[in-house]
Amino acid sequence: MRSMITEWIQDLRQGASAEEKVAKLLEELQKSNMEDHYLNAICKEQAIAAARAVDKKVKSKQQLGKLAGIPISVKDCLCVKGVESTAGSKMLKGYHPLFDATAVERCRNQDAIIIGKTSQDEFGFGGFSVNVGKDYQIPKNPVDSERSCGGSSGGAAGLTKKANIPALAESTGGSIVNPAAFCGVYGLCPTYGRVSRYGLIDYASSLDKIGPMATSIEDAALLMEIIAGHDNKDATSSTTLVDYYTTSISKGVKKLKLGIVKEAFPDNSEVESHVWKSIKKLEAAGSTYQEISLPKNAAYGIPAYYIIAMSEASTNLAKLCGMRYGMQEKIEGDYNTYFTKVRSNFGQEAKRRILLGTFARMAGYRDAYYLKALSVRKMLQEEYAKAFKDVDVIITPTMPIVAPKFSEISKLTPLQHYQMDVLTVGPNLAGLPHLSIPSGTLRKMPVGMMAIAPPWMEKRLIQLGGVL
Amino acid sequence: MNSTTLPATEVMIGLEVHVQLNTQSKLFCSCPTHPSKDIPNSATCPICLGHPGTKPVTNKQAIAAAIKLACALQGKLASELVFSRKTYFYPDLAKNFQITQYEIPLATGGKILLESGKAITLKRLHVEEDPAAIVREPACSLVDYNRSGIPLCEIVTEPCLSSPEEAREFLKKLLEIMEYLDIFHPEDTIKADTNVSIKKTNFRRVEIKNVTGFKEVERALVHEIKRQQSDAAGVVQETRGWNAEKGLTYAMRSKEDEEDYGYILEPDLPPYTLPLAWIAEIQATIPELGREKAARFVKQWKIDPTDASILASEKKLAELYERMAKEVNPILTARWMRRELLRALNSSEKTIEEINERNLLNLFTLLDKKAITDAIGQELMKKIIIEGIDPQQYVKQHQLGKVNDLSELTNLCKEAITENPKAVEDYKQGEPKAFQALVGSVMKKTKGKGDPKIINETLKGMLR
Repeated sequence: MRSMITEWIQDLRQGASAEEKVAKLLEELQKSNMEDHYLNAICKEQAIAAARAVDKKVKSKQQLGKLAGIPISVKDCLCVKGVESTAGSKMLKGYHPLFDATAVERCRNQDAIIIGKTSQDEFGFGGFSVNVGKDYQIPKNPVDSERSCGGSSGGAAGLTKKANIPALAESTGGSIVNPAAFCGVYGLCPTYGRVSRYGLIDYASSLDKIGPMATSIEDAALLMEIIAGHDNKDATSSTTLVDYYTTSISKGVKKLKLGIVKEAFPDNSEVESHVWKSIKKLEAAGSTYQEISLPKNAAYGIPAYYIIAMSEASTNLAKLCGMRYGMQEKIEGDYNTYFTKVRSNFGQEAKRRILLGTFARMAGYRDAYYLKALSVRKMLQEEYAKAFKDVDVIITPTMPIVAPKFSEISKLTPLQHYQMDVLTVGPNLAGLPHLSIPSGTLRKMPVGMMAIAPPWMEKRLIQLGGVL
Repeated sequence: MNSTTLPATEVMIGLEVHVQLNTQSKLFCSCPTHPSKDIPNSATCPICLGHPGTKPVTNKQAIAAAIKLACALQGKLASELVFSRKTYFYPDLAKNFQITQYEIPLATGGKILLESGKAITLKRLHVEEDPAAIVREPACSLVDYNRSGIPLCEIVTEPCLSSPEEAREFLKKLLEIMEYLDIFHPEDTIKADTNVSIKKTNFRRVEIKNVTGFKEVERALVHEIKRQQSDAAGVVQETRGWNAEKGLTYAMRSKEDEEDYGYILEPDLPPYTLPLAWIAEIQATIPELGREKAARFVKQWKIDPTDASILASEKKLAELYERMAKEVNPILTARWMRRELLRALNSSEKTIEEINERNLLNLFTLLDKKAITDAIGQELMKKIIIEGIDPQQYVKQHQLGKVNDLSELTNLCKEAITENPKAVEDYKQGEPKAFQALVGSVMKKTKGKGDPKIINETLKGMLR
């Protein structure tokens, strides 16, 4: 697919009006959103004002940003100044942040147009976007409306695919690559610390990462280049220098050693064979591959991930109590009664994760669960580090299946639901950059291949994506 | 306030002290710690209000201050700065969790020496954020987030204090050290949680939460020890509160109801390796502390150890003393500063900074030259502090110089003997007080200016 950003900017250079283009797009989105529910909020006035400012810049021949006039969607968990930002939760209804998330601010500094907030599982708690908060609508897969977009960044992937709008998404345990694979777009989740989390409504702070989605690797690379880099407002953001992702694509890849994870290809499924086709293409372009095994990740990835994620989430969500922002209730009884009443507005999955997360860090249990999970996490990171001594990139399918039907999802138990993350939790726990690359379709439904690189090697993933 | 007649082995007290570190800005955001206007919720931002999306960033000044204290108390510093989350629901907590240190405190061990020479050993020292302040109104409670995120240092002692007096002295010494280190704002308060147990209950531990000020800590402990002694059988392991107005401790919660804080490592603040060079830099700024200074004063200026220890207990006072001692008789200066200067400061509520040092030095010079009497000296001290007079000029203007003219004093002594026949009689009967009355009478006639030595000798000669 050609770069949407390049085409759009060419149009503007040839005299098209950003304001007209954006206005037309917003009108279409307002209509289509009634059906597909990709957006929790559309920021019409802000977007049109921003587009007008770009037109002015063009007219007065001022220097344009790299995203001049480009519509960008932002996952609902990322704060946009003055725009209701709820992370898909009824608990944050009415929360209009006083500031932009750093990633959003950096896009705006390049003259991007923020068009709206994309739908998601409440606070990121899910892999199918069916755990949307109370009063929210479930987004539908752009290829087949009876199927899920994946999650938790479901709205972002759906909108990217359907309207060709690049997205700022977020991943804690797979929430970028999962919906990217299910909707057939590129989804790049960077190294933990590569992109500032300032302005991200936390799910699990030690795991949350912000990354782009796009229909072309070029657009994903450009967005990544803009949002990456140190930010003194986030103590976990890294000072490691940022590579030039965009210019590296055309250079192609040298011969890469691919590590094919044995445990991720268990049963010669159709999804697996589609991913193999992509691996063969990479081989044809000069890479070699070898089978590797990551048995510890396969066995302990999911429990370690869920214990850490839920423990952190249960503290991150404590602040939501109807005192300072968001959802409020009539004040009755003491603070405990009031907080309890307000907090009954969490969705079911959020409640489940708060309870489980609180349990895992309680005195008497924290040694066996929370602290144990932290040490397992280290062990899993070491397993990856060891594997990267032999290979340059690790390859798995992104998801073991294509996007499931809503009727199938409703039959899943919470545990079966969590097990869907088996391939994505590993790189997320280890904080490794990973990219989902569209790898053909299976009876129309997109399949994704996931490539995982060592820390700070986003460039290698982007080059690999450029080959396919 | 003599609390207990119990011997030292009968009481065990431990303190968890919270002191505010005097940084410009809060622990995790750039809001001011001492806003110029005292308006509730004026020194706040999305970070200290806990708005979703915000992240904490550690204020290095606060950590430097805590490191300075830890080093001065001879604690062992951790190699990494590690924060934890302590989660509980309360309206004063912006995030419903407090960022504190749990698993790995900034420092462990260390000690503070009491005057008696007893070492109070420390368990740990850590840094944490203060919650907001709750203002109780008749109809409601209001929250003031100006305090939310203020940097606190918590110092935990071993339970090795054996009386409320020791607890008070410990806290005073701690503040004295913090003042010397210039990491404590004198307007800020010191708060303590104390645990106290007595032998009679087999040292069943009772905690008293949140007592403000070192005098209140002593009062609360005195009360609690009395309570435990009078009803040893009724003492249960529990947490109690302190009602300062009524002077009572009251039950808050029993051990079973203790909250579970579900500590996790603070994921927004990755462990930070404390650079050795930074620690060395901080260490180099630690000045000579009160105890060392007092010892040096005794050695260098040959002054009385009690004078030295009182003068060294306050940094500014000690510095003022040393400036004076270099110019004029150090022993006389020490005695006059400890007694008359401190008395005049206390009664006038003036501060050391407000004193004109030149005037003070002139006074000590006059006294050293014996140009004025002690009585006049005392009067002049008050006037220097309150009115800012120059004693040299003032003595000239008001002719307050010592009267040592023998014939004049002899005449006045004669007058006094004639006017006070009863005193003369009493003195002859062997009543020494009567003699002092006669001296006083002569002194009065000289308006305090008469040389007491001459008056004494003259009177004695006349009455022989």
